[in-house]
Amino acid sequence: MALSDLNFLVGGAQGSGLETTAQVLAPAFASRGYGVLANREYFSNIVGRHSYIHVRVSSSGEPKGLTYPVQLVGAMDAETIFTHWDDIAPGGYLVYDLGASRTRLIQIASMEPDLKKRLQEEFSKLGIQPTVEGVVKYLEEERKVKLVGLSFTAIFNALVQKYGVTRAQAQRFRSSILIGAITGLTGLDEEAVAFGLERRFAARKRVLEINKELVAAIAEEVRQEYGEPLKLEPSRGGPEEYVIATGNDVVAMAKIVGGIRYQAYYPITPASDESVFIEANESLNVDGKNLGNIVVLQTEDEISAISSVIGAALTGARSSTATSGPGFSLMVEALGWAGKNDVPIVITYYQRGGPSTGLPTRGSQSDLLFSLFASHGEFPRIILSSGDHLEAFYDAIEAYNLAERFQMPVIHLLDKFLANMIASMPMPDLEGVKIERGKTLFKAPRGPWKRFPRDEPLAERPVLGSGAWTWYTGDENDEWGHIDEDPVNRLIMYERRWKKMEIADREIPEDFRAHYYGPKDADFLLVGWGSVKIPALDALKELEGEGLKGAYLHVRMLSPLPKRMLQSILSTFDPDRVIVVEHNYIGQLAKLITMETGFMFKKFILKWTGRPIYVHELVEGVKEALSGRDKVVLSYGK
Amino acid sequence: MASRGVTYRTEVWSDWCPGCGDFGIVAAMTKAFQELGLDPANTVVVSGIGCSSKTPHFINMNGVHTIHGRGIAFATGIKLANPRLTVIVNGGDGDMLGIGVAHFVALGRRNIDMTVIIHDNQVYGLTKGQASPTLRRGEKTKSLPAPNIQDAVNPIALAIASGYTFVARGYSLWVDHLKELIKQAIQHKGAAVIDVLQPCVTYNDIYTAEFYKGRLYKLEDDPNWDPVVRDPSEEDEKIARALEKSKEWGNRIPVGVFYVNPLKDTYEDRIAQRNPYYNREAPPAFEEIAGEDGKPIIGPDEFKRLFAGYIVKAKRS
Repeated sequence: MALSDLNFLVGGAQGSGLETTAQVLAPAFASRGYGVLANREYFSNIVGRHSYIHVRVSSSGEPKGLTYPVQLVGAMDAETIFTHWDDIAPGGYLVYDLGASRTRLIQIASMEPDLKKRLQEEFSKLGIQPTVEGVVKYLEEERKVKLVGLSFTAIFNALVQKYGVTRAQAQRFRSSILIGAITGLTGLDEEAVAFGLERRFAARKRVLEINKELVAAIAEEVRQEYGEPLKLEPSRGGPEEYVIATGNDVVAMAKIVGGIRYQAYYPITPASDESVFIEANESLNVDGKNLGNIVVLQTEDEISAISSVIGAALTGARSSTATSGPGFSLMVEALGWAGKNDVPIVITYYQRGGPSTGLPTRGSQSDLLFSLFASHGEFPRIILSSGDHLEAFYDAIEAYNLAERFQMPVIHLLDKFLANMIASMPMPDLEGVKIERGKTLFKAPRGPWKRFPRDEPLAERPVLGSGAWTWYTGDENDEWGHIDEDPVNRLIMYERRWKKMEIADREIPEDFRAHYYGPKDADFLLVGWGSVKIPALDALKELEGEGLKGAYLHVRMLSPLPKRMLQSILSTFDPDRVIVVEHNYIGQLAKLITMETGFMFKKFILKWTGRPIYVHELVEGVKEALSGRDKVVLSYGK
Repeated sequence: MASRGVTYRTEVWSDWCPGCGDFGIVAAMTKAFQELGLDPANTVVVSGIGCSSKTPHFINMNGVHTIHGRGIAFATGIKLANPRLTVIVNGGDGDMLGIGVAHFVALGRRNIDMTVIIHDNQVYGLTKGQASPTLRRGEKTKSLPAPNIQDAVNPIALAIASGYTFVARGYSLWVDHLKELIKQAIQHKGAAVIDVLQPCVTYNDIYTAEFYKGRLYKLEDDPNWDPVVRDPSEEDEKIARALEKSKEWGNRIPVGVFYVNPLKDTYEDRIAQRNPYYNREAPPAFEEIAGEDGKPIIGPDEFKRLFAGYIVKAKRS
């Protein structure tokens, strides 16, 4: 019977071409109308540590939440087998290198001692020999896992002989061995795989040819022996066109559509890819016609990044930076200056695991309250957070609109999960996109200009170079932007800034700021923000199949919080049936909602291991929470 | 655009101590602006924090008074987003060489066309006279509890090592001389810095007007002093001479131009070499990003063209 969904994982050492498998297979499956979501887990390391890609392919045509167990693990090395042996579903498939059979667990130097110790204990408990052979034997006998053993060495030798490549070069085709095996087992057609390979290797014809032939040969070999046991049913729907990209890429594309003209950044995981993408598109040319130019500056630190972004915003350029926690920590003083001076800047903030360096390549949602309160003093700011790639696309554009309309900094909170996940995003509706620049003036009468009139919280904003001249200061200021410490002026100017927040709260529709997914008469409610949306919606579907009718309340704008809407929805539920789901320890969204609405949360599902929330563990977590547990801590994933 | 009849001073009262060196610097700046006919609408005076950083409020031009140490960073965004603007950064020695030194160095590396004026009085005035990065070791100004045990940074040498292409020193009480330096700095294409020695009448009882009197001399008075690189082959030699000169301090202290290299590309040039559409006449900040109807310039067709490599058509059987 054909599958409606396929979950698989490919693992190997960082730097051994793992990303290629996702870059080839994601467009390949999407070209046949399947929804794809692929997450990459990796260490803060350039070469050698264990990394893996976890993929879900769905015949629904939509990218769906990642889940375990997987039906297939493709192992480039022994460490992958040791690390993920337990992730394979009973009756699933393991593709591995026969040459690694003799490898013993203790030989894996790159594995962290904690995991090694846990595995040793587990293997000894189950009577598994701590070698690849031992694990594989156990999987075959006890879990009915089908073994697809290939001799990588023999394949490399054949490549050397057939194409005259060196041994070192042959090693680089490792990813195509797995792609070939996956192609064979899933019955993905040759044309689709060729399309994926062309995407990845278009510029290198010879490499492309070798890859195509290698993939086809291995697919055929595997198909001959195993048939197509993991064949997907034909796609049941979805858009005609996908954008296959990571969250970083999607946000970069959106910023370009949104009219970005200046981006400054300091390198940091997992944010820099976005800036690099924009820099690669610094000159926007279509059919030889120049449509715009973007300055992307790699600065000496994050303080410089945000400071120069503020400077650029004063000139009228749509300006932004992209960073993560440690970088944002450095930016907060300047953020206050922008907040004080009605400057429209956008900070795209990809959260990773803190505190301090924390888990620099893993995700989190632990900076919500930080971004809300960062910088001394009080000033208004807008905080947006997106639930998936498509939302991130629209929000990245909307962030500039909101910043200019309401003349305040906008923080677009994302996370490492979205940043690095490749998704098959439906082609965004660009006809529906509008650029709104508020009261920005590019031409103004010559002369000194009263930038901060007391009675106008949202005043006209002539940019530097518009004809008018203006003053800005970090000190409290008078209507001209000059220093003014007078108490009466202070009363007025302080309030003037906060009035912008009242206007924003009035003008931004609440149904944009939060969304209720599910039936009106749901028996329970999940509440979350950011990328929690992806597993939450899929978990609800599974729970519905088990007779549990739930809904998901997705909070997209954290400031100004849509408190009337949240209050009215939350008040219809028994607090014992409301569960907040977040990637942090203290339940930051819950605290924020309580602060703004008085609603007290009693049930929490939390995860702070830095790995995504998987659908299967969320389903179990919800059941536990509904049957009495107040706090469920999720921890699945390697 | 030259501007006639512009009053370059605002009516904002300068709340500096009577006799403060900052008065001389502002006087020299406004005179320089007048003589260059700078257009206030297209000139931006940026500053950091401290006594000297109040400067923009006293000048009748765009003024951006930022946070401590970050004047250059703000100015960098202003200039790159709109290279049509003339940008002048003011800050103290603490601002530029202490908390903001990373930006000071980075500006040299980039050689962005802007002018930096360091108000160098060797102390942190607004916080009551602590030692700044230019106060020498062993010196004890009025409010220090004990002599300074940190070495001083040499602003001229640091600027040259960082890559500034116009490096000069002025003196706040020699207003006309300073004015000429400021004019040259503004007209120079590239990163220009003037280290302006200024007495802090309240907290610095070592480097007083009395101290400087008789010690300062002008580099240009030596007919053999030529700081300008006229051919790339001269660069090393001119740098070596300027660095040597920068060490002179004590009984004789040179002011004037230490080093000029008009041959090096500015950062704006470097961007334009990569992207010829980047230019002063059509700055990115002023580009249209949407049509009259608010629709983005990058519409559905343009999107598909620009990002074709990411788009996949779904063939469903």
